[in-house]
Amino acid sequence: MQALLCLELLGLNASSEDLFVRRFADQIRVLAPRLHFLTGKSLERLKDGATVPFDFQLSIAAGFKNNFIGRPAVERFTVSYDVWEEKFRVVRLRDIRKSAAGLSAVAAESWCLENLLVPAAGLPADKELWARLDVRTVEPKELVSATADSGISIPALIQLLSRPPRPQQDHWTLESAAFHLADLKQ
Amino acid sequence: MEIQLHPLVAMKLVLIPLLAAAVLFGQAVFGQGGQPADDTQEQATDLNVNSRYTVESVDLSNQHHYRLSTSILDEMHRLIGARLNDDAVKRLAGKIRGELRAHEVTFKLLRGGNPNSVKVLFEVETAQSNFDLSIPKFAYNSREGGTGVGQATARIGENAFSFAGLSDGDSLVERSTGIQAKYERLSLGSDRVSMGFEFDAYHEQYAGGTLSALASGVDASSLGAGAYRSRMNFEPSATFVLAAPLTLTIGFSFEQLQPQLSAAPSESANALINTLRYHQRWIDSDDTNQELDAGYNLRAATRSLGSDLAYTRHAVNVRYALMHDHQTIEFALVAGLIFGRAPLFERFVLGDDTTLRGWDKYDIDPLGGNRMVHGSVTYGYRIVRVFYDTGAVWDQGTTPEIRHSVGVGVSSGLGLFQKGAVLLAVAFPIRQGRAEPVFIAGMNF
Repeated sequence: MQALLCLELLGLNASSEDLFVRRFADQIRVLAPRLHFLTGKSLERLKDGATVPFDFQLSIAAGFKNNFIGRPAVERFTVSYDVWEEKFRVVRLRDIRKSAAGLSAVAAESWCLENLLVPAAGLPADKELWARLDVRTVEPKELVSATADSGISIPALIQLLSRPPRPQQDHWTLESAAFHLADLKQ
Repeated sequence: MEIQLHPLVAMKLVLIPLLAAAVLFGQAVFGQGGQPADDTQEQATDLNVNSRYTVESVDLSNQHHYRLSTSILDEMHRLIGARLNDDAVKRLAGKIRGELRAHEVTFKLLRGGNPNSVKVLFEVETAQSNFDLSIPKFAYNSREGGTGVGQATARIGENAFSFAGLSDGDSLVERSTGIQAKYERLSLGSDRVSMGFEFDAYHEQYAGGTLSALASGVDASSLGAGAYRSRMNFEPSATFVLAAPLTLTIGFSFEQLQPQLSAAPSESANALINTLRYHQRWIDSDDTNQELDAGYNLRAATRSLGSDLAYTRHAVNVRYALMHDHQTIEFALVAGLIFGRAPLFERFVLGDDTTLRGWDKYDIDPLGGNRMVHGSVTYGYRIVRVFYDTGAVWDQGTTPEIRHSVGVGVSSGLGLFQKGAVLLAVAFPIRQGRAEPVFIAGMNF
């Protein structure tokens, strides 16, 4: 994690070995075993009983690395920590009924990625593809601006994630190695 | 403005506008504390896994450092006994932040005494630098006129500077008009020690009754100085937190009195000062709040400090308030005695805007006294207040005359004045033969 943060500070992307792409039926999702965002100040706030939201964005590039195609998958997950059971709970804000509780920190992080899906349909089968994952903590001001009556506004979330993160905002960026759709493990 | 009315007529004239005000203010005040709509509450509570736990208690860390309004305390109180509402806790943190002008207010959940309960602890992070304008006291009494204090406060890190301009015709025998400037170092090596330097300068004015009494030589044996036209005070002090919320303040007060006759030499009243204070607030889970404020103050002027006047002044005050649902009952007791010959500003006065309300302090004793005891009971329902005051002020060797008064009014923290109560009241001194209602209006006294 510290290595990842150092790379970020230097304006570099994390190693392509940190993000693995998998196909799940007609969806694409990612694994990031070395990504741990439930740390530092966020973890302190969680252990104090607060809810901490994180914004996720998964984008796919085709042909060359920065040629992002289609609409990225964006989600806001709100994490909380049970002060009695000492376990995490995650709620996917777009669909509030989707949640998981009784999780360890690693399991909570994995659950977020498992619920961040890009449809495989529409991705070119004949081109090299790259996946890029952006994770960031949510500023209190952004918490209000992206929340619509239904829980979360996807266009507002996309707009927020298109802006560079603020200096005080914890954020992580990971990229996968090049892959072809046909080669993906199920 | 002095009105003489039959008591029943006066009561009717008073109660009708007061009830109308109660309805008007009641809507404004109690409408604010309403719960959010059901749908947003449902959504918010679902986000935090701890929302399944019951709130056992709600506290503010370093509570003795801060004074919160009744509406905030009520809101804290409403959280107790209910399931944790993350949204409500965050909203309350925002309100506390606004009221205390803090940099940030966060909350922490701690395990409660039972497995299904949690404690909520708000933590206040004060701003490194801020500036504040306030009116610590404003009052109008139809007999004695107005009293007002305007104050500017600047805080830079652990240093606080304040400057106040005032005209106080209420709390002393004389009317004092002048300035107060104060520097405080809020933390001196430890949060348990602070120190301050205060400089005050006042111009003094006297009522005709006071000047006549001075000229007649009444109370001359206990009076340390006559009328003075100006007074200056320099007061260094240090405050120690003995065992929170018990604090002790020790310092010196160097007072210089300039006589009304410019040819006469000035006199000094240099005193060692001590104040022991205890302030505690309890928020219980059954809709009950309690607050206790008690203090003992000693001022000992001695020739060893270069004082021309030598005296010792003791004063105690105790105030206890119990709030349950929309009802409040408050008991207040103040008492004091002076040994030696103290100047006018040290003498005790009753018949002001907080004691023996409705009485004229100059009718009771135009020079004040060196003995005093006073008790007060106030009952409140929502914003309506009914009070009863009783007390006596006298000089050693004379027989005290106990006086009584009753009153009715409306009082509440409103809008800008959230921190203190606004009181509109009519008070009636109880004496045989006639009723002379006195109108009192003010805030933060």
